[in-house]
Amino acid sequence: MKKWLVMLLTVALFMVMAACTANKDAGKDSGGDKGKAVEKVLYLNNGVEPNSFDPSVAFDAVSWNPLNNLMEGLVRLNDKNEPTEAIAEKIDISEDGKEYTFTLRDANWSNGDKVTANDFVYGWKHMLEAKTASPAAFLAYEIVGAEDFNMGKGKFEAVGIKAPNDQTLKVTLKAPTEAFLNIITNPSFFPVNEKNAKTNPKWFAEADTFVGNGPFKLTAWEHDAKMTFEKNDQYWDKDVVKLSKVEWAMVNDTNTEYQMYKSGELDVSSVPSEMAEQLKDDKELSNMDQAGVMFFRFNTDKEPFTNEKVRQAFAMSIDQQQIVDYVTKTGQKAAHGFVSYGFVGPDGKEFREEVGDLITPDTAKAKALLAAGMKEEGWTTLPKITLTYGTSPDNQKIAVAVQDQLKKAIDVDVKLQNVEPMVFMAESKENKYQFFRSSFLNDYADPVNALESFITDSSMNRTNWSNKEFDKLIAGSKNESDAAKRWTMLQDAEKILIEEAPIVPVHFYNQLSLQKPNIKSIVRHPVGYMDLKWADKE
Amino acid sequence: MIKYIIKRFFMMIATIFVIATLTFFLMHSIPGSPLESDRTTNPQIQANLEKFYHLDDPLPIQYVNYLKSIVTFDFGPSIKKPNDSVNSLIERGFPISFELGMVSILVAVISGLILGTLAALKHNGIIDYLAMTIAVVGISIPNFILATLLIQVFAGSLGWLPAATWSGPSYMILPTLALATGPMAIIARLTRSSMLEVLTQDYIKMAKAKGLKPFRVIFRHAMRNALMPIVTIMGTMLAGILTGTFIIERVFAIPGMGKYFVESISNRDYPVIMGTTVFYSAFLVFMLFLVDIVYGLLDPRIKLHNKEGESS
Repeated sequence: MKKWLVMLLTVALFMVMAACTANKDAGKDSGGDKGKAVEKVLYLNNGVEPNSFDPSVAFDAVSWNPLNNLMEGLVRLNDKNEPTEAIAEKIDISEDGKEYTFTLRDANWSNGDKVTANDFVYGWKHMLEAKTASPAAFLAYEIVGAEDFNMGKGKFEAVGIKAPNDQTLKVTLKAPTEAFLNIITNPSFFPVNEKNAKTNPKWFAEADTFVGNGPFKLTAWEHDAKMTFEKNDQYWDKDVVKLSKVEWAMVNDTNTEYQMYKSGELDVSSVPSEMAEQLKDDKELSNMDQAGVMFFRFNTDKEPFTNEKVRQAFAMSIDQQQIVDYVTKTGQKAAHGFVSYGFVGPDGKEFREEVGDLITPDTAKAKALLAAGMKEEGWTTLPKITLTYGTSPDNQKIAVAVQDQLKKAIDVDVKLQNVEPMVFMAESKENKYQFFRSSFLNDYADPVNALESFITDSSMNRTNWSNKEFDKLIAGSKNESDAAKRWTMLQDAEKILIEEAPIVPVHFYNQLSLQKPNIKSIVRHPVGYMDLKWADKE
Repeated sequence: MIKYIIKRFFMMIATIFVIATLTFFLMHSIPGSPLESDRTTNPQIQANLEKFYHLDDPLPIQYVNYLKSIVTFDFGPSIKKPNDSVNSLIERGFPISFELGMVSILVAVISGLILGTLAALKHNGIIDYLAMTIAVVGISIPNFILATLLIQVFAGSLGWLPAATWSGPSYMILPTLALATGPMAIIARLTRSSMLEVLTQDYIKMAKAKGLKPFRVIFRHAMRNALMPIVTIMGTMLAGILTGTFIIERVFAIPGMGKYFVESISNRDYPVIMGTTVFYSAFLVFMLFLVDIVYGLLDPRIKLHNKEGESS
């Protein structure tokens, strides 16, 4: 009697399963049309939904990596990371380095409108308006009157951004700023099509209303799921663009991303940290510099780091090379200075290489310095030391390594403390911690961007460290129009910073990715956003 | 019945109000703000942002505005995603989470009931052991491990199914399996134990003795009573699964609303925290209410309008 019931249930189970599978297989092929020979479609992953395509609003890679390919500013970084003419056909710089005159080329928006100087004025004004609350507005502060206008003081007429005619944009700076052209490659300096923005105030939120002027146009945007870019026929330099389409997925899990890369659903993938070591020598691995540094800050108001020799002793106990080789293992370069690789000076030499290694591990010296420092202060035992970091497995690995290195080198016991990342960020700004993890990513490609964090009372200082000579060098470099002299000033400033050791650098950042061998010429800059203008799929 | 529903309705409102208030004050008591970022350190820009999102208002005023936003169900713009309002995030993500959740629940309930019933009928037999082994494995493997494993096997090694994203029916199979296995296992175990208990009851013997067909005995008499504990857990299970699960949606890159629950908190995205919490608690409370009604339908001995002591 029970037998037939079992059979019935089994049959029911099979029917349910069969029904499900039949249903689900039906649409299986809807996804990929990769097979077409003519179309060159690049499959990328953006991780998550871009936060905003309003050039003034987002300040993050997930928004600006795609946006950088949909729009274009006056200048664009080339494959050698130099700003070169883009929408601007000609750039005239006055003798004193403060007046920039941009002559625009004949360029169109994706809807066919002409790109005018006024579109730049409109876009830049939008960024600077207090009500926009653009997090990127500070990048424009080198422009006369921009800071005041952003603070809600003064009128836009007083800001040094003028369009005498449709083809000309004049910008006046407060001081000769060598990095200015570099700064304006940043997406927040993209023009905005005024006509479109006035009819659709939320023009940047949907594919239908989005109007760009870059190598690609946005043809579909399914929020939180995917985006489609197609080659923009209106782009002035369209002959250079080889891809016909870019499909962006939004896969946030790196393991899934990697599986999709393996199964051919993606052409480029990031490297899951568990896989980094295994893939270390993979031919498809690409490792590019990223301008930025991971470092530790010492609070110079909290004992024992009030004493310079103690700070130096700690700094010399940390073995950067060991950390990148055996702890992080993701191909970063060890940092023996604060300014990262990728900045070439007027003499054509790398800043980093010219200055050389300013801090290297030296156990004997560290021991001597610690003893000397303790003697200066009259300490027989060192005050308790806590190393604080934002909770994450990667941060923890480094902290544990540092704890161990300090114990071995100078026999100091360090307590580790991890804090929820947002709390950590808030409290480190309040100078609450004694010895803590930090990181810096360049906003624009110039060493001063990194170094000026440590001028007295800068909100990025967070160490309470203050050095008059350092301040003077940074301020001087900002007004120096002789490039070689400016470069020397910055190098001297870096030497002071590392010598006095309110910080100790650990490693520079990098961009690690897997890329199929048939994908060529995706440009990734140390500072800046991914560029697909020249990319090709063979 | 009507009276009971009205009473429950007001209790639901009160519950949601308490949850909302607690969330609001807890949220503001943790350090850090949605505008906290390593970059935006310029005080003026910070002030502009705070003003824009009304974060410079005193807390009581923010609280009143917040209550207003609950009543009108309009939570304003997300802070981390300035393009989107909280409502649009929910409108966009919820249908997807709901679809996936519904399919998963159906798969879980059907297969769980079948497994559990089979196990109970073949008590201590091979089928029982087999079903319970599946159930134990299902309960003990966390769904994110199962998810990664499924991707590895079916997308990576075999290449039969797409690894992730949400682009068609075939994309649903792996997440459904990953999501349904846990609940299925729980349902199977519950069904088995309550079935075993029910099957020894006198009225089942009576039914058999009357000469009723086994099918009728199982489904009409035994199953109905055995369902009670399952219905009890279904309320919370449904609310949890239908509003989206963070890990499964993340692993399979499904654009549901699961991620907003978790990410909004680590981002301190106040409007999204409030929106998702209120939405979820309203949904949960509603599901529990439904469960109570279903009790009455399944077991006429439970009378909804009776006082506590008289019921059951």
